[in-house]
Amino acid sequence: MATVLDKKKTVRINGCVASAQAAKYADVDVITAYPIRPYTATMMALAQMVANGELDAEYIVADSEHSQLSIAHGASSSGARVFTGSSGVGVQYAYELYSPISGSRMPVQMMIADRTLDPPGDFGSEHTEALSTRDMGWIMGWSCDSQEAFDNHLMAYRIGEDPRVLLPQMVCQDGFFVSHITSDCELPDPGQVKEFLPPYKHPYPLDPRHPVSHGPQIMPEQGPPLQLERARAMEGAAPVIEQVHEEFAKIFGRRYDAWIEEFMTDGAEVVFFMQGGHAVTARYAIRHMRERGAKVGLVRLRTIRPYPTDRVMQVLSKFKVVGVIETNMGLGSVSSGGSLYAEACAALYQANQRPIVVSFMAGMGGEAIVLKEFYWMTQKMLEAQKRGGIEKRTHWVGFEE
Amino acid sequence: MSTKGTHIPDWLQVPFAGITPAPTQKKGQDLFPTGNWRSIRPVYRDKMPPCNNACGTNEKIQGYLDLVKRGKYLDAYALIKEDMPFPSVTGRVCYHPCEQACNRGKHDEAISIRAVERFLGDLGQALAKDVVKPGKPTGKKVAVIGSGPAGHSAAYQLARLGHTVTILEKSPKAGGLNRGGIPDWVLPQHVLDREIERLIELGITIKTNTEVGKDVSWADLEKQYDACILAVGLTEPNNVRAEGENKAGVHYGLPFLRDIGMGTSKVKLGPRVAVIGGGNTAIDCAREAFRQGAQEVTMITVEGNPSEMPAVPEDLHDMLEEGVELMHGFAVTAVRGNGKVEALQLQPAKFTGAINASPIAIDRDAPGLQFPVDQVIIAVGQHASLAWLPAEFKNDRGTIAVDRHGRLGNTKFFAAGDIVQVGSGQPLMVVNAVGDGKRVAFNVDKVLSGEPLQPWTIPIEVITDLKRMNMTYFPHFPRVQQALLQPASRRRTQDEVIQAYSEEQAVEEANRCFSCGTCNACDNCYLVCPEPCIVRPERSNGLYKILVDYCKGCRVCIEECPTGCLEGVPELDFDTGVVRMDTAFAITPGLHGRQAEQLRQVPNLPPKDIENWR
Repeated sequence: MATVLDKKKTVRINGCVASAQAAKYADVDVITAYPIRPYTATMMALAQMVANGELDAEYIVADSEHSQLSIAHGASSSGARVFTGSSGVGVQYAYELYSPISGSRMPVQMMIADRTLDPPGDFGSEHTEALSTRDMGWIMGWSCDSQEAFDNHLMAYRIGEDPRVLLPQMVCQDGFFVSHITSDCELPDPGQVKEFLPPYKHPYPLDPRHPVSHGPQIMPEQGPPLQLERARAMEGAAPVIEQVHEEFAKIFGRRYDAWIEEFMTDGAEVVFFMQGGHAVTARYAIRHMRERGAKVGLVRLRTIRPYPTDRVMQVLSKFKVVGVIETNMGLGSVSSGGSLYAEACAALYQANQRPIVVSFMAGMGGEAIVLKEFYWMTQKMLEAQKRGGIEKRTHWVGFEE
Repeated sequence: MSTKGTHIPDWLQVPFAGITPAPTQKKGQDLFPTGNWRSIRPVYRDKMPPCNNACGTNEKIQGYLDLVKRGKYLDAYALIKEDMPFPSVTGRVCYHPCEQACNRGKHDEAISIRAVERFLGDLGQALAKDVVKPGKPTGKKVAVIGSGPAGHSAAYQLARLGHTVTILEKSPKAGGLNRGGIPDWVLPQHVLDREIERLIELGITIKTNTEVGKDVSWADLEKQYDACILAVGLTEPNNVRAEGENKAGVHYGLPFLRDIGMGTSKVKLGPRVAVIGGGNTAIDCAREAFRQGAQEVTMITVEGNPSEMPAVPEDLHDMLEEGVELMHGFAVTAVRGNGKVEALQLQPAKFTGAINASPIAIDRDAPGLQFPVDQVIIAVGQHASLAWLPAEFKNDRGTIAVDRHGRLGNTKFFAAGDIVQVGSGQPLMVVNAVGDGKRVAFNVDKVLSGEPLQPWTIPIEVITDLKRMNMTYFPHFPRVQQALLQPASRRRTQDEVIQAYSEEQAVEEANRCFSCGTCNACDNCYLVCPEPCIVRPERSNGLYKILVDYCKGCRVCIEECPTGCLEGVPELDFDTGVVRMDTAFAITPGLHGRQAEQLRQVPNLPPKDIENWR
């Protein structure tokens, strides 16, 4: 039974369903699932598609996220295009597999709808669980609405399966703020997808007709060259990512900057630096503040792995103050806040003109970042600009005057 | 770009993501030698099969059976001939201790080794020229006294070693016990004649009608030869110390058989014959009695039942088939009759000890029994006739005193065979005498070439038993039976009772051999290795190699080796002069290997310049 695809159309769907639709359009071969909110809705949608014959794929329900990712690893090794996903502690439970999958260069795709880590049990969105895996060799980025989620999934397959890259991808979206909020999403013409995303072909799949060993034991001295090659693949992905975004724009007509979205940064002196769905609120707040004369803008990171260090340096060094909105936990970290601050500062360190950088702990535990809080944070940035220095590295938004 | 300008040196080049082709393909996994996981190393170590160990002359039985399996009959014959000069003889007469020891006997039925040996022996008989050649002449002269099994074997081995051998035989025909002690219907004369011819082919001189002490003196031997092996056997029959034993009609076992064998017998048997004794010679005499005209033959033994008789069970069975009656628990105390035996006085008797050689207790007060007979043949063992031997070399058993090398003191004289072994606990059997002759011949060779003598031992690390083997590979198969002449017809002829194997039968029977503890190129290890890291250039015994760089010590080949020749040896037992980790790494031209190599080269010298250490 072949996968059924309609003509191009615009639908109103949430982020989870957009991810499921992307998997369907990518014509995945194997889906491995284990339920956990909020990403479960994606697997529910895919289960329906497989059940009613829309999608021809193996749908495997594992006994845990560890098995789920193990099965995904094996399926990818055999040459299948694999889709999987998880949220929160589920992402953590599969942690063992992240390095083996990227180390064996299997382009598994994982959808993550963020969820706060325990304790206590919290359904809210926080990026900590996905960011904790950021150095495991997966290509990683956040979408801010269902259309971007759909597009990022297709582009991630194209990037990860490129023979120059061959790395797994985490396509992340905020739980609830993206995963469960509907927005317009254009589903493309099947011909466009076919043109954009060729069938997956691993150079050395597991095949009894051509026996190979995957993941053999190696000598200690053979570890470094393999690590170096994985590092080369990650760095080498950067030009591929840019090329894929360019081709995507040509075929689908939607152009994204591969790394960074700048919103109202012309003439801006203070900017928010953030990733994910809260950027939608941020845009609204910035428009308001601009109308009132505040020179504020938004820089949104779209791809965090590989980290666009030079680009971040080049963009952020144009401004006087950068306010990093974390939405993740970095307990005891450089800023005693989140992990984005440290990376932004490190990227800026070699810049000739360094802005003041301050970190905001906002959107924690899945709380919405409301307009009032954006105004408050802007106020803090403007104060820092006036002062010529920070008051403190990290502000806990909502808990300070 | 952190990876910009990086360079992976040639010796660290690795395949994409470490994905490697199977090790059988070109290059294969040599980049990933997984052998360092191993704690147990499989090793092909051929062990002693029980048959080889049990054989009196340690024939390589498993070896020649394996060659027969493969149709290499001539190779098989040549292999037997290393230890056994006359397989055609032992293939007929041997009491085959190998078959008693055969592991297959515990599974279904023992291999009929003797029948296959006879097949090969007869093949050798048919050859125009034997496969065995005399050795490079040494110029040393050796006399062998006696041409029985021990003398034959010793002379044969000495000739192969290049010595000039002369056999002195007191009878008109060579062969000793092979000729005089074994009836024609077991061993036809022409078979033995052919084996004697083979000795002459080897350049051995046989002087018949030459008796030591009469025709040749001790001093002559000492003067004319560089060494001398006394293999004179036990020639004089024991009597039963019965009253009137000197009457006409009283015969003794070995002379009775010997005269028939030499064609000089004048014995005419009446209808009723008694045989005294329960051993193999007694059985041969009883069966021969029928062939010499007796109508009723009764065997009278001190042993209380057939199982106590010191005889080969199947010979006993064949004898009973031919109609010999058994009387147990009696000894002859008197031979009655007027000048000629007419009856035997029998009294209940039993051995006082556990073995048949122990003294006999006769109950002379019991009523007893008069047993009417026309002739009696007494076969209760033999003793030596050593009047010619200097007294210093006689021992209290009435035989020759030798050291553990078979040597008489520090002289040039050696002794072998029954003359040495009687009373020593060794069985007095042809194959044991052959083995004794072989071992003594090698000792003589050592003395002649000035080498020190060493105890003759076969290295027996393990005698393979069924527990070491994987019996799932051996379905039950019955033994190929040798055809026998019918009892009614055979007891009147000198025709061979037991019939030879055909070629097909020999191969079928050899195919039953387990090859206990020995590689027989079954290919099982080659097939079951999951890696696979067992390789072979061709399918042949001993040509399998284990790629220890990859073998992880999973033991599958060891567990699945049908014969038990593969065994697991702890890796620490391999003393290769380097430490364990070193062994694993040194095989790659990588850093650890090179460091290890450097450390070996300069074990105590630290590098002068730390910058240049690598």
